[in-house]
Amino acid sequence: MLQAHSFLWHYLWVAPNALSLILAGYIWRRGIQRRYPFFLCYLLFVALEQFSLYVLDLSPKVSPITWWRAFWFGTIIEGLLKFAVLAELLHHLLHCWPSVAKLGRNLVSGAGVLLVLLAAGIAPFAAPDNTPKLVGGAHILSQTLYMTEAGLIVSIFLLAGFFKIPWDRMTFGIAVGFGFVWCEHLAVWALVTGGLVRNRGWEDFANMATYHLCVLAWFYYLLVSPKVSRKNTIPPKGPSAGPPIGPTPEEDLEVWNRELERLVHP
Amino acid sequence: MTLAIILVISAALALVFILGVTVSRSLQISEGTGLAARIQPIDVEAFRNLIDPAEDEYLRRRLPASEFRFVRRQRLLAMADYVKTAGKNAAVLVRMGQSALAAGDVHTAEAAHRLVDNALLLRRNSALALLRIYLALAWPNSGLAAAPILRGYEQLNGSAMLLGRLQNPVAPVRISATL
Repeated sequence: MLQAHSFLWHYLWVAPNALSLILAGYIWRRGIQRRYPFFLCYLLFVALEQFSLYVLDLSPKVSPITWWRAFWFGTIIEGLLKFAVLAELLHHLLHCWPSVAKLGRNLVSGAGVLLVLLAAGIAPFAAPDNTPKLVGGAHILSQTLYMTEAGLIVSIFLLAGFFKIPWDRMTFGIAVGFGFVWCEHLAVWALVTGGLVRNRGWEDFANMATYHLCVLAWFYYLLVSPKVSRKNTIPPKGPSAGPPIGPTPEEDLEVWNRELERLVHP
Repeated sequence: MTLAIILVISAALALVFILGVTVSRSLQISEGTGLAARIQPIDVEAFRNLIDPAEDEYLRRRLPASEFRFVRRQRLLAMADYVKTAGKNAAVLVRMGQSALAAGDVHTAEAAHRLVDNALLLRRNSALALLRIYLALAWPNSGLAAAPILRGYEQLNGSAMLLGRLQNPVAPVRISATL
C-alpha cells in the first residue's frame, strides 16, 4: 500500500493541495487575506508547486534531474514564503501588546539567528550518499530549512507560553498547523539526511499525510466559528438587582486609589 | 547518525509540546469561571519593606559582613517568592482579561485590553526581576532595583479593579492583601 503511484500516494499528493486551493478561495471570499497576505500566497504557491511536481513526476518525458531542479526551485521559494508567514504570525501575536512586543521580536530574532547558525553547522555532517549531488543537496536543504522553521515556530510558542500572551484563534490555528508539519518534516528529513531511512517509501507518505492533517486543521481554525459560551458577567440592573454586598465599587476604588497614591508617593 | 537521532528526538519533543499547548488552550477556553479565586493576594507593604534600599543600608551598618550576606540572601529569597507570586497573578489576570476581550461592551473590552497589556508588562518585569534577584543571590553586596515591579503591580491593581468593576460591580477583583 505504501508504494509510489498507489491510490493512496496519488490521493495524498493531490488532495491536500486541492484543499489548500479551496481554503485560499474561502480566505479570499471572507476577506481574511487582508490579515494574512503571506499565508494566502503560501497556500497558492505550495498548491501550484505541488501540482507541477506531481505532473512532472507522472510525465515520462521529464528526467529525474529536471524533477529535482524543479524541487530545488520550489523549496527555496517556499522556504522564503514560510519565513514571511512566520513574521506575519509573530506580528499578529505581538502587535496588540506593546509591553512585550519589542522584547518578543528580539527574542525570536535572536533564536532565528542561533537556529540558522546551528542548522548550517549541522549540514556538513550529512551521511554520504551515492545519489547525484542535486538529490543529496535537496535532502540537506530540506533538513536545514525545517530545522530553522520548526525551531522558530517552537520559539514563538515558548514566548507566548512564558509570557501568557493571548493568541487569536486564526493565528493560533495557522501556527499549530505549521508547528506539526515542520516538526514532522524535520524528523523525516533528519532520518533521510542522516542515512537512517532512504527510499523506503513511507517517508513520503508520512510527510504528505501530515500536511493533509495540517490543511484540515487550518480549515477548522479559519472557517469554523468558535463556540461562544459567554456567561453573563454583567450583573442585572434595576429593582431585581438586589442590594450591593459590602462597600460600593466607587468607595472601594477610592480606598484603592488613596492607598496606591500613598504607596507611590510616600 | 547521532545528529539525526538528536534531531528526531528534538522534533518529537517539539511536537509533544505543541500538542500540549493545543490541548491546554482548549481546556482553558472551556474553563471560563473561577479564575479570580486563583489570585494570591500580595502584601505590598511587606514587599516595599523588602526592596527598600534604606533597610539594606541599615542592616549593612548594623551586622557583621558574613551575617549581612546571610540575611541579605534570605531577604532576596523572600523577594523572589513575592515576584513569582506577582508573575503568577499577572498570568491569571491575562486570562481574565482575555476572556473579557470579546465583550460586546466597548468600555469592558477597552478595560480588558489595558489589563492584559499591564499584566504582560508585569510578567515581563517579573521575569527580569527574578533574573536580577538570582544574580544578586550570588553577589549579595550588589544593589538591586525591584521598584519597577512594585510600580507595575500597583498599575495592574488599578486595571484589574476597573475591569472587575465593569464586569461585576459587587465583586471587584483584589490582587493585594493590604486593602
